[in-house]
This record gives sequence, C-alpha cells and structure tokens, in this order.
Amino acid sequence: MNSDQFRQRIRVSLANEPLQEALDGNARRRVGARVSAFGSLPDWPERRQRAHAVRADVIEHLDSYLEQFIHNAQTNGITVHRAQDAAEAVSIILKIIDDSPRKGEENQKDIRVHPRSSASRLVAKSKSMISEEIDLNHALAAAGHRAVETDLGEYIVQLRGERPSHIITPAVHLRRSDVAKLFHEQLGIPYTEDIPTLTNTARKVLREVFLTADVGLSGVNFGVAETGGICLVTNEGNGRMVTTLPRTHIALMGMERLVPSLNDLALMLTLLPRSATGQKLSVYTQLIHRPMDGQQRHLVILDNGRSRLRNSPLRESLYCIRCGSCLNACPVFRELGGHAYGAVYSGPIGSIISAGLFGSEYAPLAQASSLCGACKDACPVDIDLPKLLTRVRAGQAEKEGKKRKEGEGLAAPLKLGLQAFSLAARAPRLFAASQKLAALGTGLVSPFSAWMRLPAVTGWGYSKDFPKFAGKPFRERFVRQAAKHAKVFEARKNEETLHAAEEVLRSAQNDMNMAMRFTEELTALGGHVIPTQDATASMIEFLRARVVDRIHLEPHTLDESALLAAGITVTHEPDPAVRVGVTKALRGLADTGSVLVVDGEGHPLEASLLPEVHLVLLRASDILPSLENAIHLLKEARAAAVITGPSRTGDIEMTLTIGVHGPGEIHVFLVENR
Amino acid sequence: MLSVQLFVTCLIDSFYPQVGEAVVNVFHRLGVDVDFPQDQTCCGQPNFNAGLREEAKPIAQHTIRVFEAVQGDVVIPSGSCAHTLRHNYAELFADDPIWLPRAQALAARTFEFTEYLVDKLGVTDVGACWDGPLTYHASCHLNRGISVDRQPRALLANVRGAEIRPLPEEYDCCGFGGIFSVEHPELSAEFLKRKIGNLESTQSPTLVVADTGCLMHIAGGLHRQQKTQRVVHIAEVLNNQ
Repeated sequence: MNSDQFRQRIRVSLANEPLQEALDGNARRRVGARVSAFGSLPDWPERRQRAHAVRADVIEHLDSYLEQFIHNAQTNGITVHRAQDAAEAVSIILKIIDDSPRKGEENQKDIRVHPRSSASRLVAKSKSMISEEIDLNHALAAAGHRAVETDLGEYIVQLRGERPSHIITPAVHLRRSDVAKLFHEQLGIPYTEDIPTLTNTARKVLREVFLTADVGLSGVNFGVAETGGICLVTNEGNGRMVTTLPRTHIALMGMERLVPSLNDLALMLTLLPRSATGQKLSVYTQLIHRPMDGQQRHLVILDNGRSRLRNSPLRESLYCIRCGSCLNACPVFRELGGHAYGAVYSGPIGSIISAGLFGSEYAPLAQASSLCGACKDACPVDIDLPKLLTRVRAGQAEKEGKKRKEGEGLAAPLKLGLQAFSLAARAPRLFAASQKLAALGTGLVSPFSAWMRLPAVTGWGYSKDFPKFAGKPFRERFVRQAAKHAKVFEARKNEETLHAAEEVLRSAQNDMNMAMRFTEELTALGGHVIPTQDATASMIEFLRARVVDRIHLEPHTLDESALLAAGITVTHEPDPAVRVGVTKALRGLADTGSVLVVDGEGHPLEASLLPEVHLVLLRASDILPSLENAIHLLKEARAAAVITGPSRTGDIEMTLTIGVHGPGEIHVFLVENR
Repeated sequence: MLSVQLFVTCLIDSFYPQVGEAVVNVFHRLGVDVDFPQDQTCCGQPNFNAGLREEAKPIAQHTIRVFEAVQGDVVIPSGSCAHTLRHNYAELFADDPIWLPRAQALAARTFEFTEYLVDKLGVTDVGACWDGPLTYHASCHLNRGISVDRQPRALLANVRGAEIRPLPEEYDCCGFGGIFSVEHPELSAEFLKRKIGNLESTQSPTLVVADTGCLMHIAGGLHRQQKTQRVVHIAEVLNNQ
C-alpha cells in the first residue's frame, strides 16, 4: 500500500459516519474503563515498569526461554512445532488437521450456514491474531475444511467476509443494525436489534459447532517457560470450548509471547485485562498444561519475521502483549478504525510491526501519527511507541537485511522542503536571512492581515490559516539587560513523588474481610454469592426452586445420597442437555471475585462450561487475596480455569451482554468457617 | 545572580517574538538574568520527526555547539522542543561515542519554561493578573513527553483574577504534530475540530498553551473558522500585570 492508497483509505474512513460514531464510542468507553480499572491497582506504575523489565528480559534471552518452554511443554505431552514463516505454519496446521481423528457420526450432520462435504474437517476457532497473520482461514477453505470463528465478534466479521478491525473488539466498526441485518439474512432469524437475542442466536449456532468440531484452534496469550503451560484469556467461553471439547487442539503462538515464571504471569494478568477491556480479570483465565483424555494438543510457534525484528532497532515492539489499549488511546485509530490500515495489526503498534514484519509497503502507516504519545501512556508494558514510530520513519524497519532509506514513507515535496530547512537551520546567518525573506514574502502576500489563507493542497491550508512571519523576529528584538531586582534563587531539586496510595492499599487489603471483598467483587460482575453452613441442603433448595432434577456434578463435592433422596439425579460426564453444573473451587480470589476450577475426576472443566448455570462450592477459608497468591497452585493441574463472573461479551456496540458460550449464571455457595 | 540561556525556538523567533519577550520579562521580574545566544536556529525537531535523521543531526550538532559555548541552564518555552533536546538527541546520537555525551550534557541542563520556574526556582506565583476565564490545553510533548503538567497548572492557579475552567479532553492532541499537520491534513483537521469544539464548550474566550506548535495550529483553525477565541502562550499570561 503506497501513501496515496493509504490516504484514500483514510478519506473513506472519515466519510463513513456510522464508523466514526462507533469509533468515538470505542475510544470513550475503553479509555474510561481502563482508567477506572487501574484505579483498583494503585501500584500500577511500579507494576508497569516490572512488566516492562520482564518482557525486556524475555526478548533479550528469547532463545533460552523458548528452549525451556518447549522442553517443558513436550514433557507435558504437548506436540510442539516451529514455523519459520506463514507458509510453513499453514502446512504444519493442515498436516495436523489431515491426521486428526474425526469426531464420530454427529459431525457428518449438516450444520446450518456451514454446510460441508464429507471429506472435510470442522475446525472451531477461538480468537487468534496469528491465524490472521498467516491467513489461515483461506488456506483451510482451500483445503476443503470448514473453519468457524466462534468469538462473537470474529463470527460476525467472518459471516460478512471481512477481517477483524480491532485486536480485542473485532466488530468495533459495526452497529447493532448491521449485525441484525446480517443475522436476519444469513441465519434466517426475524430481524431484531435486541443484542441479547442476537447473542443467543450465535450461542445456539456455535454450540453445535463446539460439540461437533473435529479440531479446536486457539491463540495463546502467554506461554510460561518454567512450566511449559499456555495461558488463554477470554470472556465468552469459546476459548475454553475449543481447547477442551474437540479431540485435537491446535494452539498458535508468536515466538515472543513468553513469560519466565508463573509469578510473572500473575503480574501480566493484573495488567492485560485492565488494559484490554477494563476488567480486573477476564471471565476465563485458562492455564493449560497437558492434553485432556483422548485428546491431542499441538502448539505451533511462529517466527515469521520476529527473529529479524528482534535484531533490529524495533526490538522493543516485541514486548507487546496485544491488549489493544494503544489502539483505543490513539486519536488516529479513533478516526480510521482497523481496516484503513490495510494490515493485520492496526493502530500504533500495528504501524510499527507491520513495517517490521511484513516490509516497506507498510512504511506509510507510521507517517499517520502526530507522535502525541497517548499510546505510550496507555501501554501496560511501557513500550516507547512514538520513538519506534520515528524509527520506522527513519527507515530502520529492515527487511531481508536491506537498510532502507530515511523518510521513505514521506511525501516528496515535504522531504525536499525539510532538506532545505535543514541546510538553513545549521547556518545561523542563512537562517536569519531566510526569516527576513519569508517575512517580506508573507507581507506581500497578505499585506492587511496577520494571517494567510493557503490553498488546501499545501496540507496546512486544508483546515487552518497560517500566521504571517513577524516583521522583526525575536533575535532582532532581544537586548540583553540585567534583571530589574536582584533576587537570588537556590536551585531546588524536583519533589519526589509520594507513594502514599500504595500504603493505603496495603493496609486496606489487610483490613478487608476476604469473604466480604469476594462477595462484593463477584456481585458487581453479575455473579451471586450464597453463604451457607450446609452446601448440599442449600443447593437442593436452589435446584428445587429452578425445577432442575438432573445435574453434572464434580465427584466429592456434595452428598450424592441426599441429592438422590431429593429426586435429583447426577451425572459425572459432560452432557449438553444438562442445565446445571456443580463444581468445587480450589480457591477463591478476593480482589477479583474469581474461583479456581481445576481439571480432575468427573470433568469439572466441562461442568463449569457447558451448562447454563454453574454452581460452585467454595470454603470461606480458601479465599486468597489475589491471583498472585494462588497461581502456583495451578502448576500441577492438567488444565485449569480461573473463572471471574458469568460468561460475557461486549462485541456488539460494546454493550455488555451476559451469557455467551459459557454459563450465564454463576452462584458461589460460600461455606462459612466453623 | 542567577542567569539562564534562552533557547527561544524557531516558531517564537519567527512568528511570535512577543512570547519570547514575555519570557524575558517574567525572568527579569523574578531577578533572573536572561541571555540569548544569537547563533541559535531550530532544534531540528521537524527533520527528526519526519524520519530525516541524517538531516536532523547537523542541526542538533549546531544547537549543541551553540549552548556548549555558554554557561548556565538552558530554558525553552516549548514542551516539544525541550523534549527534542532531552530525549531525541540521545536517540539521534545513540551510536555516536563523541556526540552522545555532549547531547546528554546539554539535556541535563535543559528545562522547559514552566518547569524551570516551578521546579528549579520554586516559584508558583509570579505576580501576574488576568481578567476573566482561561482554559488550559496540555500539550502532548510537554505533558507526556517530559511529564510537565502540574507546573503550568500551579502557575495559572496563582494568576489573580483568572478563572481557570477545565477543558474537556484536555490531554488529547490538537492535531499539530509538526509534519503530520501538513502530511495528513484530513486527520489533523478532525483532531482540531474536536479541540475547538471542546474549547467552545468551556465558553472561555482564551485558551492557554505552553507550546507554540499547538498555539499556531489551534489559532490557525480558529481564524479559519472565524471564531473569536484567542490562543495565548502561558508566558504571555504570566507576564500580564
């Protein structure tokens, strides 16, 4: 894409009124949500610097961390593949899919809107930017497979034949009426703009996909070197579905997405969701270590230019954790949206890595920045994005070892003008003479006004007038004088910033009753907490009120004979027809209202995912202050989910909608300490 | 007697000499001597930001030489030029063992005008007066680039008679961005439209900035739209008695 094409795309975006409205809404809500989410983390500036240091360390020692990570992942039973470029990644994935077992008879069934031939596999995908980067959907279609995006926003853009326009909110460019029309036309439902109805329609269609898919495909938010585990952060529940239900799971990750330890992961998890969606924790934070029973887990680690980027002046861009907050903060993104960038990655970070990974055709993107620095301020790992943008402008995004020219994205007349300016600015007399000449010239052009109206083609004249040069510049006016009264100042040092807020937090945390805090947080998210002395009795009461007589129960959680006596039958196997799942919580987290559910006997991960209602047994004494205190407990789990409230999405007009793919209700039965 | 070296910036020199004079007056009133090295030109920011680093280097070297020849702190009445000396010069000469230390030495004695008044001189009241409402735009390179925000606000808070009104979205870019405002005029115009809309919503007749790039840009937009609001540099407010 050259400068003129980019400029054309900019005009298209600016002329698109609904897009402008949607982007204004995105900027306001996301920035507001981020600011208020960080309000609950008073030591965030310090955490941000620690996170920066962690990412810098990972990129500095990437080879050894990768080696450690891959070794541990393989020991855990995950098949690890490395791909140098997009083509290799695609062929690895196609091979895995070809070799994957089919799910049985039900997958032959014709799935509405996704009809498929008997030779293909059904691939259920949760969000993965790597998949976009290697253009996997086209490759899968060409090979005769059906790939279905299951994140609501991704599903919508896939149905429209588009690409996502935002890392976090793929359908940010659409209004509810667009989605209503799309679902009416493609899914055959009556036209409705009711977002819960639209969401529920997607839930029904995609539920069938989850249950019948041969292969699940996901991204990876972080790989943990010390454990070989992968962490996925999602809200809707589709990420958990595609990594848990199909017999083959393929995870795609960029080679830079590592953290050394679980402690580092816990740190990142305090920053990522706050930055991305303004949540303290996303609804589902998954930690996956080993394959499920009868499942094959593959991990494809992609280079695709990252090694080169790592050895270039743009290295710091590899610190990115893909939260999208620089997009939300960027005034240029606010005008353009993601599509105008014509690249997989948009916004400030996209303008840097697109040129760095994919070549000079993306150099003009970095020109579209006022270098205002809002992106750097918003970045949870403090990447100096404006500095990197100026490096792209200076031709430092190398491709195939070729050093590029400075200012290659810059329009030719501007370049000439700046070169002339540079000559004058290094020679004071020429500079002063040019000033006088300019003053004379502008005086002739505009003799009666302090302003000149330049033609629009100059750029400046498009929306503003230009001031006349002063007849007598400052350098001629300045006369050195002694100060009028002699006052002597002592030079003073800058005041140190106070860390009072941190102190306040510490004492507050100590004082707060964990159970109360837990209840407060979960209730705020739309979850429910029911204090009880006898969990079985309380749950029976709950189930009777809901007229539920069959549940998926994690063994050793409740008194099963009491349940049977109450007329409630129990299964320990996943069953799509069951409406209520009951599990234990390994721990609760006070500061986020989360529960930790760990894989084990009786399929607790499915019990906490497939039914509409999730009931959790949590002992009050098992509540810890925050994820940092609990994350090491997940080290030995085959797979685990930190569940923070009911399944939710904001993918349509960023309107919070509860209950997408995971349970729409979560009730925690809090067993009080005796 | 304390004395400072004024790096007045090419925009003030060429377009807004009265702002330079206001800076000098404020210093004089506080008993600080001001010197103006005549060989100064521009800091090289336009070329640096445009990616033309090879052309920015000789300008930066010229500036370093000019201020190496004089004693005392260097004061710049512009956030973005101060940011250039403080941060971009080090970036420019990162691999240059001779110029990097010289750039760093200059950076260490370079201050933005309001930063110098508040943090170095410890002054927040310069005895200024203003009649009526004022609203303040936090320039990007001043606020985010060199973290100077409380200083201009503290100075304005002590201006007698001034009623300081908060500007909605005060931290948003006005759309200047140097070369950006000419290279991407449509984008720049959208930022400017929002900034002017926010200014109008305050009903303040006067907008205060501490960076002449923003001043020139917003004032140019106001004039084009035939608005009545004025944009002034903070030195002009602090010089008003």
